[in-house]
Amino acid sequence: MELNGGSVVAMIGKDCVAIASDLRLGNQSVGVASNFEKVFPVNDKLYYGIPGLASDVYTLREHLRFRVNMYRMKEEREITPKTFTHLVSSTLYEKRFGPFFVEPVVAGIPSPTPLDPHPRPFISTMDTIGCITTPKDFAVAGTAADKLYGVAEGLWEPDLEPEDLFETISQTLLNAVDRDALSGWGVVVHLITADKVVTRTLRARMD
Amino acid sequence: MSGPGSGGAYSFSLTTFSPSGKLVQIEHALAAVAGGTTSLGIKATNGIVLATEKKAPSLLLDTTALEKVAPICPNIGFVYSGMGPDFRILVAKARKIAQAYWKVYGEYPPTKVLVQEVAGVVQKATQSGGVRPYGISLLIAGWDSHRGQSLWQIDPSGSYWAWKASAIGKNMVNGKTFLEKRYNDDLSLEDAIHTALLTLKEGFEGQMTEQTIELGVVTVPTAEQMQEKPGERLPPTFRKLTESEVRDYLSL
Amino acid sequence: MNSVLSQLQPPAPHLGLDQEEDEFTSSDPSAWGSMGGFGNLARNGGVQGMSIPRVNDPTAFLDLHTDNMSSNPEAKIKIAHGTTTLAFRFQGGIIVAVDSRATAGSYIASGTVKKVIEINKFLLGTMAGGAADCQYWETYLGMQCRLYELRNKERISVAAASKILSNIVYQYKGMGLSMGTMVCGWDKTGPCIFYVDDDGQRLKGDLFSVGSGSTFAYGVLDQGYRWDLTDEEAQELGRRSIVAAGHRDAYSGNTSNVFHVRENGWEFIGNYDVNELWYEYEVKKKAAREAAAPAASPMAVEA
Repeated sequence: MELNGGSVVAMIGKDCVAIASDLRLGNQSVGVASNFEKVFPVNDKLYYGIPGLASDVYTLREHLRFRVNMYRMKEEREITPKTFTHLVSSTLYEKRFGPFFVEPVVAGIPSPTPLDPHPRPFISTMDTIGCITTPKDFAVAGTAADKLYGVAEGLWEPDLEPEDLFETISQTLLNAVDRDALSGWGVVVHLITADKVVTRTLRARMD
Repeated sequence: MSGPGSGGAYSFSLTTFSPSGKLVQIEHALAAVAGGTTSLGIKATNGIVLATEKKAPSLLLDTTALEKVAPICPNIGFVYSGMGPDFRILVAKARKIAQAYWKVYGEYPPTKVLVQEVAGVVQKATQSGGVRPYGISLLIAGWDSHRGQSLWQIDPSGSYWAWKASAIGKNMVNGKTFLEKRYNDDLSLEDAIHTALLTLKEGFEGQMTEQTIELGVVTVPTAEQMQEKPGERLPPTFRKLTESEVRDYLSL
Repeated sequence: MNSVLSQLQPPAPHLGLDQEEDEFTSSDPSAWGSMGGFGNLARNGGVQGMSIPRVNDPTAFLDLHTDNMSSNPEAKIKIAHGTTTLAFRFQGGIIVAVDSRATAGSYIASGTVKKVIEINKFLLGTMAGGAADCQYWETYLGMQCRLYELRNKERISVAAASKILSNIVYQYKGMGLSMGTMVCGWDKTGPCIFYVDDDGQRLKGDLFSVGSGSTFAYGVLDQGYRWDLTDEEAQELGRRSIVAAGHRDAYSGNTSNVFHVRENGWEFIGNYDVNELWYEYEVKKKAAREAAAPAASPMAVEA
């Protein structure tokens, strides 16, 4: 985690979720790239972020892409955030004794079904070997996790509208990474609502 | 070293094409199915019924230990016609498949996915060395949030179909004809159960009692039932009917 | 104890036998306060009142319990190292520029640290390594320089001042002091920079950069350095170097403090936000690229 640095945060709002990451890729103290995204789409209502060892970020992303594509073809449907969380978790636990050095965060809105016409937005997070937690408010991970907890605890409130959620998650990440030497160098935010995803790159501190 | 099942260089599949393009072993397996007791399934608007005849070869047999309708996971059940031992092997495999799926995804497989997996197991027996095809046909009833209730059949060849209603086993031709006459698209589960019993009655040898037939049902859950409560499991959507429930249906 | 022998071989301060005694009682009255004396320094160069572990081998003891340059990551006493500081001599005097970030592990503990210590009107010291070590000893150095002035009726040379500091740190060598400092000032010889560090090294030079971000600062500095830089050019070079380091080095950044030392003493030039400067430089770089590039379409296709 401390080799490459990087952080991810996800938050629940009213009928929306947001997930954001910094853009730094470092080699210990040296910043190497400021375009290293750690948040990836699964489909247009489900995103996940994997801060941690950069090589594992790539490997795990490709592995999950494979698993999700297989799922999509076999089941002829899109994977739900909850099922995807379990998929990531079991993938991580497979490497229990030689783990991927990543802490995934999942954020998405399940599609409505006849039995659940108004599904609630969903976030979850895992440790390196796949222990799941599904918070009702926000999830943080990465080298700035402790700082993110502090800021998010202060800024987050229930039932934020999309614009307010965007402001909250942006300020949370921006201010948290300003206290972390290994995160920062740019921030990207994804705001997921039932009908669209808005992705914005923020002007952040570059030191 | 190179005996049957060892995968040695001289291990051939017993299922070999005849010059006319048939796999006679599969034809024979289908014959074994056709000799088995009748089973049937009917899909209704709010569920599915699986029904089968349970014939004891001797009066002395304790029929309570006989089981032809098998729950695989909380949302899926099997019934079969053909060879009992083969069925039990497939049930064990299907249950394992369902649990493996649960382990990865945290939920039980949709009916179609399980059907595909089990059909894959059945197909393998038609192409592998040192084995014979399964001597059974399966009827599979299940419910899932994606497709709702669905009824499937798997044959010894590994082919599978989705049905509105189907019959397998000794009386399958008559049964299917009967079902074709009786079936309509807005059948309720209660209607379907009675239709199933009537179909079974056609050509039933001996007395139809709660000891000589078995019923399994899929019920469509309500939105409220699907609401997850912490520390509680979702209620099963497939279950076998108890003997007293079967008796009640028979007496109607 | 033989008094002659004890004068010739005074007990090392860290043996701690007479640690609590003040200099009035412990030092020779004939030496005190005079040119022949050591001022506040004991004869061995150590400082009165500085307590040291009362063990046989304090160096080994401290080595066991402190984490100097991660030789002992399990140690209880940890010291922050991240910094970028630089100083260079040029035609118009000396430019001293530093960042202002303080880190504890990966945590940015402060972004407003003053890493230039104003020893007196003519002397500046920079701070890299242990903040407390630098602050304490450079303040102490200021005291000694003032005493020197009172005693000698003239300002101390940069060489002498830096030697006082290097002598002190040498006394405590191996006991966990962590400093990398540049003593900068103007004396009879003109502008002068001495690099002094915790293992007692003392170097005179025209251009130094110290800290985790020093490599990045050197990159910009070496590329832009000339003796005949104008004052504005030199100040800009210092600023630009700190921005480069603040950008690349995780443990440097936030703001930059720039000082200019001239014949009549140092002047504080300003405090600059590294981030704002970085974006300014990016805009300038982009404009320069566009000015240099031909106006033709970047995707020229062959006919």
